[in-house]
Amino acid sequence: MTKNLKYGLILLSICAVCAFALALTNSITAPVIKMQDEVNQKRALEAVSNGWTIGTRNEVSGQAYVTYTIDLLDNSSVAGYVVGLSTSGYGGQMTLVASYTSKGEMLFAQLLTHSETPGLGKKAEQAGYMDKFKGSGTDKAVPTTKTMLSDADAQAVSGSSVTFTAIAKAIAAGSEYVKNLGGAL
Amino acid sequence: MFVLVLGLCPVLGVSTQVSNAIGMSAGVLFVLLFSNIIISALRKVIPASIHIPAYIVVIASLVTITEMVMHAFVPSVYSALGVYLPLIVVNCIILGRAEAFASKNSVFDSILDAIGMSVGFALGLTLIALIRELFGSGTITLFPMGNFGGVINIPWFYDNPIRVMALAPGALLIMGYLKAFFDWNTSRKKDK
Repeated sequence: MTKNLKYGLILLSICAVCAFALALTNSITAPVIKMQDEVNQKRALEAVSNGWTIGTRNEVSGQAYVTYTIDLLDNSSVAGYVVGLSTSGYGGQMTLVASYTSKGEMLFAQLLTHSETPGLGKKAEQAGYMDKFKGSGTDKAVPTTKTMLSDADAQAVSGSSVTFTAIAKAIAAGSEYVKNLGGAL
Repeated sequence: MFVLVLGLCPVLGVSTQVSNAIGMSAGVLFVLLFSNIIISALRKVIPASIHIPAYIVVIASLVTITEMVMHAFVPSVYSALGVYLPLIVVNCIILGRAEAFASKNSVFDSILDAIGMSVGFALGLTLIALIRELFGSGTITLFPMGNFGGVINIPWFYDNPIRVMALAPGALLIMGYLKAFFDWNTSRKKDK
């Protein structure tokens, strides 16, 4: 009993010191990481805004994929929306931003945060990956399965179907949300 | 890597680019060095029956610290390494050297062991990455500095890439051939 107590105290001490070191490192790095995330998000918004003016952000609750919307203004009238999306990929949660016309046609999208495997799902970060969805959402349905893609695009997502499906469903949900807005914003 | 055959997991996943290999090697050096120091310093305090959970806590904490620091100050390397960074926790080199050397030797000797192992790992990983990237993509990717974008295109190789080298089978092939070469070289020296 005394031996077990001694072992427990030794492990507790090691865990306590490690926890302190982690907390100290977190206190130093968390503000820097937060600042980077804000810069990355701003860059992503500018990349998907299609040259329109970025308006105010509106938080969304109760939706499976949509977390917020931002109206895009063209000469003071709403020309489209940027939708913040959250989905679950192979490695866990992924967040992305996608822009749509006011009719729900997808324009641009960019992956923000993810934990996908390098060489497989991580390819979704690359330029051109989101072109598969460009122009879809109205007359053309958002491709949510590999069979809806061209041969070349299907080949490109081979080996990372979970990542592709997660992103596709999020973009499709964003398109449906924008269509249902009906100018309510 | 070629002698003890430890640390092969990141070899396959991270050796696609030279810069990724260097970044991973830096992470392993930091974790291995400090885990060896801490475990060696505590070797008379930690009883044998609980040394594995104790070592794992120390190693996991060091890896998490490395992750946070890289995320904050070298985000490009952090992003490139992805899930392989937290996988350093289960890299056999770290726990293997803690168990086999640091827990039985002085702090100074453990520091030397960590540096030696890390340098060997770095050289092996960088060599594999260099071969894979050269033959698979025809480029050598380093870190951008000033006007240098970081990517060097190698003539002829860039126009005639062997794509399999950039994929997982290529990593296994290179690993196998290099292991064979080092084993042959070692046996040749023994025969002499």
